[in-house]
Amino acid sequence: MKFFFPDSQDQVDPTFDFLTEERDPFRVRQRDDLYAHEVLKPPPFNGLLVSKAIVDGTAGSSTGKYTGPQRHRLYRQGARQFFRLNNGSTPLKIMGDCGAFSYVGEENPPYSVEEVVSFYEGCGFDYGISVDHVIFQYEPKIVHTDDAAAEWVRRQEITLDLASDFWRRCSASDVHFIPLGVAQGWSPESYAHAVKELQRIGYRRIALGGMVPLKTNEILACLQRIDDVRESDTELHLLGISRCEQIRTFADHGVTSFDSTSPFRQAFKDDRDNYYAPDRTYVALRVPQVDGNAKLKARIRSGEIGQGQAMLLERSALARLRQFDKDEVGVDAALEALAEYSAVWDRKADRTSQYRDTLESRPWRACDCTICASVGIEVIIFRGAERNKRRGFHNLHVFGQRVRRQLGEDDRD
Amino acid sequence: MTKQGRESRMVEAGNQKNVLHLPALEIRQGPNRRLYTFAVDGKQVPSFAAVSRVRRDSQQQLHGYQRPEVLAHVAAIRRYVESAESPMLPNAIVVAFDDRVRFVPADAAVVGPGYVRSGTLLVPVSDDWEDADKPGFIVDGQQRCAAIRDAGVEAFPICVTAFITADQADHRSQFILVNSTKPLPKGLIHELLPAASGPLPNQLRVRQLPATVLERLNFDERSPLRHMIQTPTNPAGVIKDNSMLRMLENSISDGVLYRFRGSDSALPNIGLMVTVLNDFWTAVRDVFGEDAWGKPPRKSRLMHGAGIISMGYLMDAIADTNGSGEDVPDTQGFAAGLKIVKDYCRWTEGTWDLGDGIPRRWNDIQNTPRDIQRITDFLVSTYSSKQGKRHDRSSRLF
Ligand SMILES: [Zn+2]
Repeated sequence: MKFFFPDSQDQVDPTFDFLTEERDPFRVRQRDDLYAHEVLKPPPFNGLLVSKAIVDGTAGSSTGKYTGPQRHRLYRQGARQFFRLNNGSTPLKIMGDCGAFSYVGEENPPYSVEEVVSFYEGCGFDYGISVDHVIFQYEPKIVHTDDAAAEWVRRQEITLDLASDFWRRCSASDVHFIPLGVAQGWSPESYAHAVKELQRIGYRRIALGGMVPLKTNEILACLQRIDDVRESDTELHLLGISRCEQIRTFADHGVTSFDSTSPFRQAFKDDRDNYYAPDRTYVALRVPQVDGNAKLKARIRSGEIGQGQAMLLERSALARLRQFDKDEVGVDAALEALAEYSAVWDRKADRTSQYRDTLESRPWRACDCTICASVGIEVIIFRGAERNKRRGFHNLHVFGQRVRRQLGEDDRD
Repeated sequence: MTKQGRESRMVEAGNQKNVLHLPALEIRQGPNRRLYTFAVDGKQVPSFAAVSRVRRDSQQQLHGYQRPEVLAHVAAIRRYVESAESPMLPNAIVVAFDDRVRFVPADAAVVGPGYVRSGTLLVPVSDDWEDADKPGFIVDGQQRCAAIRDAGVEAFPICVTAFITADQADHRSQFILVNSTKPLPKGLIHELLPAASGPLPNQLRVRQLPATVLERLNFDERSPLRHMIQTPTNPAGVIKDNSMLRMLENSISDGVLYRFRGSDSALPNIGLMVTVLNDFWTAVRDVFGEDAWGKPPRKSRLMHGAGIISMGYLMDAIADTNGSGEDVPDTQGFAAGLKIVKDYCRWTEGTWDLGDGIPRRWNDIQNTPRDIQRITDFLVSTYSSKQGKRHDRSSRLF
């Protein structure tokens, strides 16, 4: 089972100083920064998934995350060199897709098959996923002849037509990547239909799309139905799915790879499950920057809160947490400082009991990843990209361990 | 409660109140204005002067006049004050005092101009005061004061200019006056940067390298671009300084010039950067010839933002296909690469065929991100495909 991590320019800056919060001003983004696979051992994933929408953007949208110069360097040097895929303790694979979620609201996908093939080929990818159009709904009872299914059928047909064109162009132009076709559907039946069609075109690697909002038993229902049509040598990829507990079951249904950002994103998007431990999660300790929190900034600008006062509380919260990590103060002193600061920026949520749980458990001390070992309590402070991304990396590390444990793999380096 | 009332109550409560005796000059400016100038340790300023934050009270009345501290700006000044390179803040901060501050002239009559006399300024101070109790307000210099307050230094004496008035409206108009001046134009800053030394804000330090390279291209005798880049001191140049800076910054971050940017211990090798650029632009001049070279952008799009920036990307592409490290093409090497795309370019006349089925007349190309990207993508992909380069991969997989 291979885990691919969708890239969204997520690196950490090794020159960042946690005490002064300053970095080397001459650091060049991405080049001097480090990817998770360069920081963690073993690399927490088997490869990266890179979307055309992230690299090139779509016309009239701002999904692109690459600067012009970075984008051109990726094309010139190829993905292996750009993403430094050989820099970790194990070399990684690289898979490309279109980033269909970025254009889900459009009538048609904004990219031509030719453009996409040249994107994969130009960047030197190992795997390339055909152009697709997401179907969001899951309605197992609605058959394809039903009027309610008209739009879903249209999207499925677009996706299959593009997959067929994609296959033809890949065969004709002698490409260096392995093509994957995408199955989009709204029910077990419709997914099975798409898989059957893709196999008929010639695909033996098929990505299942649009399953992100599905419940685990719904995904399993689709996989079971797909089993009826799946050739024995067809391999499945689950797009955007990370149901760790089910990995062995997924494998029994022909799934050989999946991708997901959720372990990483939960570090700073989730309300509570921010920090992964082997068997549970913890809430991170929120200490936003005085000038990084929009609500607080507005209250300071209007004169409602003194800026000096807010800065004092912010600094004292950070200082207490560091003292706590050095066993110089107890849990209550740290909690009190957090609560006093929260009172000025977040008067609604009282997280004291969750924070107590996090602090008393000190999970970063038990973690064997290089991040926790080097930055200590900073990893669990919810504050700024450098801390939040490091916590995301840590989560990927733990997630990688969980996956290997599920698969019964040896977890030593 | 009035300010005075609160103060007297505090004194009654037995608070220790001290008075600073500051040697000062009193300067008479016009019939009704007296200014005081003196030096004080910046660390002491918060004990007698506050920043008057703008806000409205429950009756929507306006109070104060200052915005919050700009934390990044404060941090930059703080770093400067803490730096080992003998920092200097020559500008006086401006403080408005209320009438609890008094000036006592020196006894001896000093011979001098009639508008100035020396003496002592008596400033009450207390560490217990709330901001509203302090006799002074900082009208100009709040970021500097905050930086000195936060700085890890023992003391940092600064110059202060003060006036005495109880009138808040007077503070406010002084505040507006000192803060409504125009910042320096960007072009002038960039032209001054190469020859500036000592600590600068980080954002400008990063710009110093491209600005220095640009200066060399514009004024070195052997440069093909000599006197062609428009700057405040070279107004006749045909290429906008911004376009050239962008081209340089792109290549320094992600292109061939990155190879010479230095590392932790090594400084950037500006000489090698300039050599590469001279070779490349000489090749551009030779390949595209008099038609397109050295003309204003309205006559030649090669000298236009779209031409300069896209050519920069092409330079990086040609360099990357011809080796790595210090293995950089010379003029001939660059010229060979440029010749591959020459026939597809329409810098001075005709119509571009960018492959998207939409013909574009040469003078429809604008200096916009969109057009720059179009021309760049076209030139670079044409170069790569004609040149037949493929990435190293072990084998054909499919
Ligand atoms: Zn960890």
